[in-house]
Amino acid sequence: MQMAHSSKPACSGPDHWATAAVCCAVAALLALLAVAAASAQPGGTGYDVKAGYLLDLGRFLRLSGVPAADRRSTFDICVLGHDPLGHFLDDAVVNQVIDGRPVRVVRIGDANAGKGCDILFISPDEGDGIPLDLDAIGKTDVLTVSDAADFLKYGGMIQFVEEDNRVRFAVNLNAVNRTHIVLSSELLRVASSVTGKTPQEEQP
Amino acid sequence: MKLWDRRTIAGKLMRLNLQVTGTALLLAYLAFLAYDLYTLRKDLISSLTTEAGIVGENSVTALVFDDQQAAQSTLSALDHSPHIRWAVIERADGSVFARYSSNGQPQPELQATLAPRQPLGYWANGTNILLGRRIVFQGRNLGAVYLLAETSELAHRARQFGLLSALILTLCSVIAVFATSTIRHLITDPLTELAGTAQVVSREKDYSIRAPLPKSSDELALLVQSFNEMLEQIQERDRALEESRNALEQRVRERTTELTEANKELEAFSYSVAHDLRGPLQHIANIAFLLQNSGDAGLSDEHRTLIEKMAAGTDGMAVLIDDLLNLSSATTTPLRRTAIDLSLMAESILERLQADDPARRAQWTVARGARVIADEGLMHIVLENLLRNAWKYTSKVDVAEIEFGFSEDDAGTVYFVRDNGAGFNPRYADRLFRPFQRLHSQSEFPGTGIGLATALRIVTRHGGKIWADGQVDRGAAFCFTLPYVVEG
Repeated sequence: MQMAHSSKPACSGPDHWATAAVCCAVAALLALLAVAAASAQPGGTGYDVKAGYLLDLGRFLRLSGVPAADRRSTFDICVLGHDPLGHFLDDAVVNQVIDGRPVRVVRIGDANAGKGCDILFISPDEGDGIPLDLDAIGKTDVLTVSDAADFLKYGGMIQFVEEDNRVRFAVNLNAVNRTHIVLSSELLRVASSVTGKTPQEEQP
Repeated sequence: MKLWDRRTIAGKLMRLNLQVTGTALLLAYLAFLAYDLYTLRKDLISSLTTEAGIVGENSVTALVFDDQQAAQSTLSALDHSPHIRWAVIERADGSVFARYSSNGQPQPELQATLAPRQPLGYWANGTNILLGRRIVFQGRNLGAVYLLAETSELAHRARQFGLLSALILTLCSVIAVFATSTIRHLITDPLTELAGTAQVVSREKDYSIRAPLPKSSDELALLVQSFNEMLEQIQERDRALEESRNALEQRVRERTTELTEANKELEAFSYSVAHDLRGPLQHIANIAFLLQNSGDAGLSDEHRTLIEKMAAGTDGMAVLIDDLLNLSSATTTPLRRTAIDLSLMAESILERLQADDPARRAQWTVARGARVIADEGLMHIVLENLLRNAWKYTSKVDVAEIEFGFSEDDAGTVYFVRDNGAGFNPRYADRLFRPFQRLHSQSEFPGTGIGLATALRIVTRHGGKIWADGQVDRGAAFCFTLPYVVEG
């Protein structure tokens, strides 16, 4: 006690400074967290990530048995229904080229219009209409993607899922195999889950 | 260097052998090691580059779709690579995406980052090599993979090389030792024997010795053979020389004997001639004397003149006989050397000459103290001849000047008799000392022509020299040396 008492006058000055330091530290910590949140963008759950993934999925697919001459001059990523991707997708495709073709975003209201796309993102807002939309696409060589629940069950090809606060995707190879689309094995390696078999596995 | 000098040839050869082998091996070791390390390192970097490429390719989707687990599983395949200790995949922003370390090794100290646009790079630190390779997918920079390999293999290789080289060097040393004994047998032993033979030959001058021929037929054998041939030649030459010398000696002996015999005969002949001539001559001289002193015994003036000429002729012949006997004794009389004073001798001779011819006006000087060790009788003949000559050849000058003296020369003491008489032509100076050779006519200056020849013989027998200087009408000087001089 004696010692604490005697040391008090010496501490009275810096007390004021300590409060300021704590305030600064807290502010710095907040700022750091903000920066960390911003930098964690690739691992986020938002549509910004999904927009990027849509573009990247295009880079890992190819069509088997389809002559290059039969392809369109642009790589079209279509959005069916209410568009949740908004400007994220528009920003993502700027100046992007896939397979030598400039990437374009096409927003469509009718599933039939999706037959001309390379990738078709079906809005989760389509809800119960999704099976109909997929039926409309049929066996056309269009990679169907959505983040709607049970999308794969309806016969969709790729479904965005959330795991550990990260966007991942599940693949339905059965649906993919009905078309000429071939997904790279690398892509399948990073899929959260793969249902169905690869064309090689299907062959006896 | 001295140590090197003293060694035997075998030792030198062994040392040379070891030095060359050692140096060659060391150089080879260094060269091979350097090359091996260089290749190993190059291979390692090449292998790392490939592995980084594969890892990068396999990590593309993981990076694109942010699947760290997939990247991790890609990196775990590096377990099969024996040299990779640590690996990391970084995102484009430099944050760590996946990490691998062999056997849970801690992160190494070697840290480096590729420059923004650098596709490939490697850094070395001690035994570690860090290689970085950028992961690019369709022109997009996705990040980079860094692989760290341990190069302890290099050090291991260097150690192995060193060990192997040391082993070979030891082996070479052993071989060199064995080789030395062979060298000794093949080269050194024959050389040593050759050197020994040469030494014996040089020391004992015995050229009949031969060096043993080595069994081999190499240059060494050739050397020994040549050496032996040389010895044989020397021996041959020696023999020839010996024979020639013997023959020469034999011939000299024979000639000497012949010559001595001839000389003796000649001496005996001339002595007997001279001696036997004396009797009849004295008889003639006596008759002439009686005729001259017989009063007026019916002799005409003409007869008297003839008798006078006869008396003069017998006198001249008596002188000639005396001279001949002198010459003979100058050659045959054994030398009896005693200490004599030439000055006193010269003085008495000159006094006698003056007494015999009191009308002559002569000035003579004799230097004192010409003491020598010589045969007194013979030296008297020499001085008598020289002084009498001087007296004779100054007979036509008004005042004769005769000098006996001596001077010191490089060759020793030179005694001389000088006069101011008729002199002689120096071109014929060598003729003066030959018997019966005269430079003046009998009518001018009478004489026998034997006196100087006798003087020459006597001086020569004493080991000295005699010579003459002079000019016509300017006098003459006769000089001689006598090697044995009485000191003081």
